[in-house]
Amino acid sequence: MTLRSDANNPAQLSVAGDVDFPVNRGQMCIKGFTSGSLLHSPARLTRPLLRAANGKLSAVEWNTAFDFIADKLRTLAAQYGNDALGVFGSGALSNEKAYLLSKFSRVVLKTANIDYNGRYCMSSAAAGQNRAFGIDRGLPFPVADLAQTKTLMLWGSNCAETMPPLMQWISEQKENGGTLIVVDPRATDTARAAALHLQLTPGTDLALANGLLHLALEEKLVDWDYISARTEGFDEVRRTVLTSHPAFVERITGVPIEHQLRAVRLLANPESSMVLSGRGSEQQSKGTDTVLALINLMLALGKVGKPNSGYGCLTGQGNGQGGREHGQKADQLPGYRLIENPQHRAQMAAFWGIDPAALPGKGKSAYELLDALGPAGGIRALLVFGSNVAVASPHASNIVNKLQALDLLVVCDAFENETSADAHVVLPVAQWAEEEGTMTNLEGRVILRQQARNPPPGVKTDVEVLCQIAARLGYGDAFAFEGARDAFEEFRRATSGAPADYSGITYQRIIDNQGIFWPCPNEAHPGTPRLFAERFAHPSGKARFHAVRHRPAAELPDSDYPLYFTTGRYKEHYNSGAQTRLVPALNDAKPEPLLQLNPHLAARLNVTEGGALIVHSRRGSVRFNATLSHDIRQDTLFAPFHWGGKQAANILTSPALDPLSRMPEFKVCAVRAERVTSLSSSNPSSSNPSN
Amino acid sequence: MSKKRLCIIGNGMGTCRLLDEFVARGGNELYEITVFGEEQGGAYNRIQLSNVLAGADPDEIVTKTPEWYDQHGIRLLAKTRVKKLDTLRKTIETEDGQLRRYDLAVLATGSQPLVPPLEGLLAEDGELRKGAYVYRTIADCMRIREHCRPGDSAVVVGGGLLGLEAAKVLADRGLHVTVVHVSPILMNTQLDGIAGEMLARRIEQAGIFLRLAKSVEAVYGEECIEGVFLDDGSTLPADMIVLACGVRPRIDVAKASGLPINKGIVVNDTLATQIPGVYAFGECAEHQGKTYGIVTPVWEQAAVLADVLCGKKPGSRYRGSKLYTRLKVADVDVASMGCLEPELESDQIFQIVEERKSCYRKLIVRDGRLIGAMLVGNTLATASLLQLFDRDDLLPEDPLEVLCAVRTLKGGEDRTVCNCHKVTEKALIAAIEGGAETVDSLCSATKAGSGCGSCKADLRQLITRIRKPPVILEVAS
Repeated sequence: MTLRSDANNPAQLSVAGDVDFPVNRGQMCIKGFTSGSLLHSPARLTRPLLRAANGKLSAVEWNTAFDFIADKLRTLAAQYGNDALGVFGSGALSNEKAYLLSKFSRVVLKTANIDYNGRYCMSSAAAGQNRAFGIDRGLPFPVADLAQTKTLMLWGSNCAETMPPLMQWISEQKENGGTLIVVDPRATDTARAAALHLQLTPGTDLALANGLLHLALEEKLVDWDYISARTEGFDEVRRTVLTSHPAFVERITGVPIEHQLRAVRLLANPESSMVLSGRGSEQQSKGTDTVLALINLMLALGKVGKPNSGYGCLTGQGNGQGGREHGQKADQLPGYRLIENPQHRAQMAAFWGIDPAALPGKGKSAYELLDALGPAGGIRALLVFGSNVAVASPHASNIVNKLQALDLLVVCDAFENETSADAHVVLPVAQWAEEEGTMTNLEGRVILRQQARNPPPGVKTDVEVLCQIAARLGYGDAFAFEGARDAFEEFRRATSGAPADYSGITYQRIIDNQGIFWPCPNEAHPGTPRLFAERFAHPSGKARFHAVRHRPAAELPDSDYPLYFTTGRYKEHYNSGAQTRLVPALNDAKPEPLLQLNPHLAARLNVTEGGALIVHSRRGSVRFNATLSHDIRQDTLFAPFHWGGKQAANILTSPALDPLSRMPEFKVCAVRAERVTSLSSSNPSSSNPSN
Repeated sequence: MSKKRLCIIGNGMGTCRLLDEFVARGGNELYEITVFGEEQGGAYNRIQLSNVLAGADPDEIVTKTPEWYDQHGIRLLAKTRVKKLDTLRKTIETEDGQLRRYDLAVLATGSQPLVPPLEGLLAEDGELRKGAYVYRTIADCMRIREHCRPGDSAVVVGGGLLGLEAAKVLADRGLHVTVVHVSPILMNTQLDGIAGEMLARRIEQAGIFLRLAKSVEAVYGEECIEGVFLDDGSTLPADMIVLACGVRPRIDVAKASGLPINKGIVVNDTLATQIPGVYAFGECAEHQGKTYGIVTPVWEQAAVLADVLCGKKPGSRYRGSKLYTRLKVADVDVASMGCLEPELESDQIFQIVEERKSCYRKLIVRDGRLIGAMLVGNTLATASLLQLFDRDDLLPEDPLEVLCAVRTLKGGEDRTVCNCHKVTEKALIAAIEGGAETVDSLCSATKAGSGCGSCKADLRQLITRIRKPPVILEVAS
């Protein structure tokens, strides 16, 4: 894409797509082509803010802010130990920053407690793919393959809203005679495009996936030759799904047997088929097992590694893929190394020139880290980069309380947000067009975001911020980076020989080739657009089946909280909305979160379109205005999570975690809804007899 | 402290699920578990027996191999029949006379097929005569498979779920099959008269003969069965008969052990019997005066029992199950839930009879809630109905709406096609009719598609739909 400024009015920036770019072919979503306005937003922070004695944030010099942070970190570490320092990163950060955050936490702060918002995003798919394939790359093939597959099944993804440029490949697939199946509790815009929509009960994806495998066996659609040649562990899976009889699956999921059958027959297309999962199936307390069940299905059908076929995950954030590979996750080290693998630890310790024993171990996962903030949990300081945890976390009111209990909260961002409201220091940093850096997209293609303009005066980059703090803590030599390009050179060498090997990638090669797919172990290597054609990444070269069973969500509707509540996104907003709510075109289109509910349910609750409702869960209450639609099941309420404060959908959501990925259960919890009555809205026409 | 010894008597579908529930809760670490199974090998999925009858390798339906028990530290004593429990000394006596100690015993002895007292049915040793079979185990299926040959004829006694399933498989194997059913209504436990009639028509279309409201009085033949006499005086020659006239709880061990028995082994909401240390669940158990012969209630009981015994959720209670049957018999989809007929004057009935298609849908509604439903032939609405039934949710004001389960996802003309510029389908149609017949001209006329561009495919479709068909100039030869 290209950024242009109006010749007459330099503040008027427009963003244009690049029609030759192979991923989006010039198409962008509304968030993309309005993103220029953020660069000149009046809300932009341009001076560091420090909380003064009067409790107010006020502008200070950078050095004052850096000195304050370094002093505080040193004191807190001395008093409470290194693990009392926490770092929170983001899937929106470049690969270089993810790498530096990892190094900063492990080498400078020596804390185990670093995690990032990708935990809320990609962690279940990542855990599932690693177990099944021995490697985790969102898509093991370029997006262009989507257009060629005969059957495409989107499982828990509403990409028509969340990733609109992807729809061109799906439209093309349809034009090529392919069939689209969508699995979603709501009839979303994506589901409308499908030939078959499986509108399942929230939290029952795993039962449905196992049920489809049962049917594949019954219908004799499984590929026994493939199973024996390329996989291991099918026998236990086969026996496990024997009891996933379609009638039980229908009862649990609400998906008619007829539709289950149609879906599995379509997926068994002899030529090609694909299942791509989204957050719907992954953001559950059994998200990893659900991903494994989807992979089991595609392995049994003999699809994984075949042309235009297999399983993939639609990665969300800009650098959702790269962000999860380079060590800002509590259990990882750069290059997708594992912090608990002695060999991997030794490699990184040697690279960083430290004793392997000094390298911290596995820390707490995102929600657990945030939940442990403050004196009770023991984490006294938190540095936040590129994430608005006060809005994006489940049981959000708890997290806000925990943030307020910190001795030191540092937020690096271009804008104030709900998290920085409680910060001791807010550091204004550069935005996307103001610095360079690499990102790895959903295909595993490493791309370069070039610098288009200089940051406004007074603003620094995250790289500068880390280097300055590191220097004050005595690690100036280890953090002597001139900029992202310089950091990239160290970073790519750090990944040499690791599972996600970037060592053969250079900025120039990325520019010349419109991106390079990892793994790319040397500069002569062309990169790897397609994985699994020959072998999987486990030592045996085979993919592994995993026997998984359906289990109910952590919280199911009951007589006190009789409805399901699920969350999702609007096309106009991104994650916590911290930036998109500042863009007039976006905010005008979607100024508030609306509660979507079925008209039958609305009639029972006695609300009409636009009417106000209060939704209660065991964790809190939120008031929404209603939007009525037959697109949603009668037992389910939906709201987007892009807003904070009293409108935060995440006040309601459940912090139940997946035991493997530690993904919170954003997609299912139990709630009760009631109309805002005349009493609470002070409507004079009250029918209350006591009035 | 040593682990408590938990002995499970029976190794059917209930036990199989109970073990999974135990493993999921770490219960196999808590107890030293021994399973007594009568049959050979591990556990299998009885629901898929018809596959074995149809010729599948029995291993195809085995859910747990003996190795599974080993891997999970569970001792399986296969081909071991338990005689009785001494609940005072806490010992289990097997038929070979061995005694084993237990701390907790779970009876999961299941049920056994009813064998009607027909003249000539039993051989001198008291076993079924050659050619007469029940249909309950893998071994039964293998016996039937061995016996039947192309050109044979079979009489299936019982037109319930199992009888019809067996009849279909035998018909598929090329046999001449007659189902003799005592009620005038097929599957009369699940269906009313009209539903039974619809099903009967479809079963007959599948090549199976029905003798309804008839019963078998006697069986004849020399060495082997050669036919049956019906109560209307007619005779049906048959090379085999399959008995599928229902099941009853297996309570022999419980009886010998002196446990409280009614129809089944009497248990409370924790699946405990009155005797400390002894539990029972599954088809052999009687809860609140009810015994169950279908698998879902058994699985629900297994989950509660595991909750209670593994200490994870000791407050968990079993409150009974709703009745529901869903199956495909002879390629006909059938679903039935709750009551078959209205029970109160005020209960409402909705019936849709599609005579020509032999389809039938019926709802019984009380106070806006579904208390019974029955679908034959067209079962697409089952999923929605069942969830409403399971949760006691209110139906829409017009309950028939639920029967139209599959809505078309077509938006109306006020649907927004281009979200970026808020252009509705109506505006686009107007523009197309006004001459904007290419995507580009439509874009410039309405701005639609000039934002993110993701609606361009929609625009293309809309143009194709709205504009007049092109004049065909040439037809390829």
